[in-house]
Amino acid sequence: MNTPFRLDQHPRRAQPPLSDPPPGYFDRLPIRVMARVSAPAAGRPAGLGWAGWLGWLRHAPAGLRTSLVATLLLSTFAAAHWLSSGPELAASTPAASPLTSLDAVPRAQLVAYLLAPETPLEAADLAATAHQLGLTRQFLRPSPRELTETLDGQPAEEGAAL
Amino acid sequence: MEDHDLLLKFADPASRNLAFNQLVRKYQQRVYWHVRKMVVSHDDADDLTQDVFVKVWHNLATFRQDAQLFTWIYRIATNECLGFLQSKRRKFFLPLTDVSAELAAQLSADPGLAENEVELKLQQAILRLPDKQRLVFNLRYYDEMPYEQMAEVTGTSVGALKASYHHAVRKVEQYVTNADTPATG
Repeated sequence: MNTPFRLDQHPRRAQPPLSDPPPGYFDRLPIRVMARVSAPAAGRPAGLGWAGWLGWLRHAPAGLRTSLVATLLLSTFAAAHWLSSGPELAASTPAASPLTSLDAVPRAQLVAYLLAPETPLEAADLAATAHQLGLTRQFLRPSPRELTETLDGQPAEEGAAL
Repeated sequence: MEDHDLLLKFADPASRNLAFNQLVRKYQQRVYWHVRKMVVSHDDADDLTQDVFVKVWHNLATFRQDAQLFTWIYRIATNECLGFLQSKRRKFFLPLTDVSAELAAQLSADPGLAENEVELKLQQAILRLPDKQRLVFNLRYYDEMPYEQMAEVTGTSVGALKASYHHAVRKVEQYVTNADTPATG
C-alpha cells in the first residue's frame, strides 16, 4: 500500500525545478526583442511578399486555412493530370491536319489497309476524305460528262441510299 | 519605474523605445517562467517570450488601463502558450497524451530534475493535466496568484477556476501516489 501523496505536505517551490536559461540570457533578451520590433519599421512594409502572406495565413481562421490548403491540393492534382495527359490530348485534337496525320502512317501500312478485302472503301469514305483534304477542287476537277458517267455507273442500291 | 510612467513614456514617440526596453527588462523573467512552465523547453520558451513582447509592442497603444499591465501581458503570454501547444498537436496530428509525453520526456532530460524522484513525478503529473487546467494549476500553485487576477488572465469565472484547481490537485495527488506502485504482470 503506497503512502498517499498530499500536495499541501510537499515543500512548495516558487518555480518548478527546471534548468536555468543560459547565462546572460536575460541581459540579451531585451536587445533581441528590440531588434525584432524595430526591424519591420526599418525594412519594407509588413504584409508584402511571401513573409507577409505567410504571416497573414498564420493568423487566418482555421477554416479558411483548411479551405486554402484543399484548393491548393486540388489545383496541384489538376495541373499534374493536365500536364501528364497533355501530349495525348494534343495528338487526339481535331486541330491536327489530316495530311500530317496520314504522313505519319507508313506507306506499306496504308497500302495493306487499302488492299485488305475486309475493309472495302465506299464512295462515302472517298468523298469525305477528299473533302477533308481539299482534293475535290485541286485534283479531281471532274467534267460534267465524267460526273454523269460515274453516277450512272453506281449500283442501284447505293443510289437509292443517297 | 511604475507602469503608469512606462505607459506615458511609451506614448511619446521620442521615448518609446527606451520605455519599451524598460518594460521588457521589468517583466521578462516572469513572462519567461510563465511560458517555460507550460512548454518546458527553453528554446520554445525563448521563442514564445519574444513573440509575447512583440505583441505587447504592437498592442500597447490600445491597452486600456482598467486592468493591471502585468495581468494584460500575462494574458497575452497565456494565449501564446495555449496556441502554441494547440498548433503543435494540429501540426503533427497528435492527441493530447502524446504532447504531454513529449513534454514529460523533455522534463526527464532536464538536469534540474535528475536527482529528485518525487519532484520529477510531481512535474510529470502536472504535465498530464489538460493545458488549461495546467495553466490554472501553475498560476495558483507556483505564482500564488489571487483567483480574481486569474479570472482576468484566463477570462474564466472565479468559481470555475476554484473547481478547476481543486480537480487538478486531486489528479496530481492521485498520479504521484499511483506512480509508486510497481508494475504487475
